[in-house]
Amino acid sequence: MSVILEARDIRYRYPRGREAISGISFHIRKGEKIALVGPNGAGKSTLLQMLNGMIRPDSGTMLFDNNPIRYDTSSLRELRRRVGYVLQNADRQIIAPTVWQDVAFGPANVGYDEETVKRKVAESLRHVGLEGFDRRVPHQLSGGEKKRVAIAGILSMDPDVLIFDEPTSDLDPAGSEDIMELLDELNHEGKTVIISTHDVDLAYPWADRAILLLDGGILREDRPEVAFGNPGLVRKAHLSVPALLELSMELGRRGYAQPDRKPRSVLDMVEIIENLLQGAGWNGACGTIMVCDVDGDDCLLPAFIASRENLAVGTMGTRAKQRAQKDGLVVEFTYGVIDKCILRALRGQDSLILTTGSMAGRVALRVGLYCRESGNTIRVARLDTTVRPPVVRFQGDKGNDEGSGS
Amino acid sequence: MLEDLLDSVAQQSAFRHIHPGTKLVLCLGSLVICLLSPSPVVPLVSGIVLSVVLIVPARISPLLYGELLLGPAVFTVTSVMILLFLVGGGAVVWQFSPAPWLVLTVTEGAIRESTLVLCRVFGCSVALFFIVLTTPMTDLFNSMKRAGIPIELIDLMMIVYRYIFIVYDQAVEIWRAQVMRLGYGRPAEAIRSFSTLCGMLFITSWNAGEDLVRAMDCRCYNGVFPSLEQTEPVRMRSLVPVLAYLVFLGGVLFMASAGAVRLL
Repeated sequence: MSVILEARDIRYRYPRGREAISGISFHIRKGEKIALVGPNGAGKSTLLQMLNGMIRPDSGTMLFDNNPIRYDTSSLRELRRRVGYVLQNADRQIIAPTVWQDVAFGPANVGYDEETVKRKVAESLRHVGLEGFDRRVPHQLSGGEKKRVAIAGILSMDPDVLIFDEPTSDLDPAGSEDIMELLDELNHEGKTVIISTHDVDLAYPWADRAILLLDGGILREDRPEVAFGNPGLVRKAHLSVPALLELSMELGRRGYAQPDRKPRSVLDMVEIIENLLQGAGWNGACGTIMVCDVDGDDCLLPAFIASRENLAVGTMGTRAKQRAQKDGLVVEFTYGVIDKCILRALRGQDSLILTTGSMAGRVALRVGLYCRESGNTIRVARLDTTVRPPVVRFQGDKGNDEGSGS
Repeated sequence: MLEDLLDSVAQQSAFRHIHPGTKLVLCLGSLVICLLSPSPVVPLVSGIVLSVVLIVPARISPLLYGELLLGPAVFTVTSVMILLFLVGGGAVVWQFSPAPWLVLTVTEGAIRESTLVLCRVFGCSVALFFIVLTTPMTDLFNSMKRAGIPIELIDLMMIVYRYIFIVYDQAVEIWRAQVMRLGYGRPAEAIRSFSTLCGMLFITSWNAGEDLVRAMDCRCYNGVFPSLEQTEPVRMRSLVPVLAYLVFLGGVLFMASAGAVRLL
C-alpha cells in the first residue's frame, strides 16, 4: 500500500506557549485505520489539524500523496477537499440553518455545478442514514444525528482521507457503536480513516495501527496489541490496558499458554479459552450464518424470521439498519456483527445478517478466514427472499434444501 | 425555549407547505390594510379572521396561541389605559380627581383613539403571528433572497440564526451552574452572577466564532453559502383565497372609510 500522509520531524509551538508537537515523524498508508491515542493535552488535536493544513508546523515537512503540503490558498483548499476533518463538537461544525444547506456547503464551495451538488448531498445523506432530513434544522436533532450531519458534510466533498477528532466523545454507547460501524463502512469503501481518542477499548479492536502520543511526542507506534500490550507504556500515557488484552495477559501470568497472536475481539478470546479447556464447551455441530441482501423491496423477510426459532438478527451498514427499522425487526447485533454471529454459530445457533451490496462478501471472507485459522466449520448461506418461499442457498449449492415457508 | 418552540410550531403547522410568498402576501397585505384603516373595524375583522384561520385549518393549539397573544396584550392594555387619559377632544365622558391638583378626564375622542390603537395592535400582531406560526425561518431566507435583499446580509442572518440556539444553550448552562451554587440568592449576588454570565458568554461566543472560521475553512469556504431551493410551487388553491380575502378586507376598509360600518 502506498503512503498517503507523512510527517517528517515536525515541530510546533503555540504562540507564546509551550511546544505542542516536538519532533514527530510517521506515515499513514492508503486505506489504513489509524487510532491516535493519548491523554488530554498530548497534542492529538494539534497533530490532526496539521494533517489537513489547519496548522502549519514551525519546522519539518508534512507530505500528502508524497508531495510536500503547500500553504497557499488554492493548494490548501484542494488539500482540505481530499483530507476531510470532522470536528469533535458537531454543533460547532454545522454552520447552516438546515441539514441540506450544511451538507451542500462543501461541494458548493468546491465549485461543483448545481446538479452535482444536489447529487452529492443526496448520496452523503443516504450514506449516513439521514434520508429525508433535508429541511430539518440542526438544533432539533439528537447528538448522534448531529454527528451524522457533520460527517455527511465532509463526505459530500468525496475526500480520500477522513479525520475524526474524538468521534464518540459525546455519544451514548449505542450511538458510538453506530458511528464506529459507519467508520468501518467508509474504510471498506477504500477511505483512509484516522481517529483521535482516549477510549482504548474503542480503539483497540478497531484500528490497524495505534499511535500513542504523550507530551507532543510519539511514545509508541505499532499494531494495537503491541502498542497497548506494554503496561508500563500505557500507564505512562495515562491510559489503561484494554480489558481483553488484560485478561489475556492475566491468563498468561497464571501459566496458561497464550498464542502469539493477542486477542483482538471477544471471539478471539473465546477461542483461546476453549483451547485451554480443550473442547469442554459446546461439542455439537456449528450453527449457520445466513446473509440476506436487503436492497430489494420484498416483504417476506419478517415472516421468514418469525418462522425460525432462536434466530438472531444482525445488521451491517446504515441501509440495513433502516430496513430493519422499517420492517419492525428485532435486531440483536449492530456492531461487530460477524464476530458475534460466529460466536453464536460456535454455540450451535443460527443467525441472520442483513446487509447490502458489497458488504455481503465480507461475511463469507471473515468467516472463511476464521474457519481456516481455528479448524471449525461454520457454514455461510445466502438467504434469497425474492422468491416465495424464501430460499437458503449454501455456497456451491443450487438447490433449495432449506426452503422455509412464510 | 420560546424561539425553539416557535420554530418547531412553524415546522409542524398544516400551512408549512404553502409557498412562503403566498403567506407573506397575506401577512403584509393585512398589515398594510390594518395600518391604513381609520376605523377600528378593519383590524378587528382581520385579527379575528386570521385567528380563526390559524386555529382551525392551520391547527395551531389554541392554548399556545392564547399564551402568545398574552404578551402583546399585557403591553397594549397598559399603554391604552394611559392613552385614555392622555388624549383629549370631544365631550367629557368621565372625570376623576385623585388629588386636588390632579384631574383625570376621559373624553369621547380619547375612547375612539384608544379603541383604534387597541384594534390596530391586535390586527397587526395577529398578522405577524400568522407568518411566525406557519413559516419556518429557513423558508423566509429564500423569500428574502428573491426579494433582492443583499446576499451578504442573508448569509449573515443565516449564521446568526444558527448561532442563536447555540449561544442560548450555553447561557442556560452557565445560568444553571450558577443557580446550583446559589448564585442568585441575594440581589447583590444576582448582579455579580449576571455579570460573570455575560462575561463567560462573551468568551464562549468568541471561541465559537473561531471554531466557525475553522469549520468553514475545513470545508473549502470560498464565499458560497448554498441555499435550499423552494420545492413548493405557488398554488392557485392557496393564492386565490388569499387574494379574495385581501379584496374583502379592502372592501371593509372602503366601507369603513365611507362611514358605512361603525364600531362606536
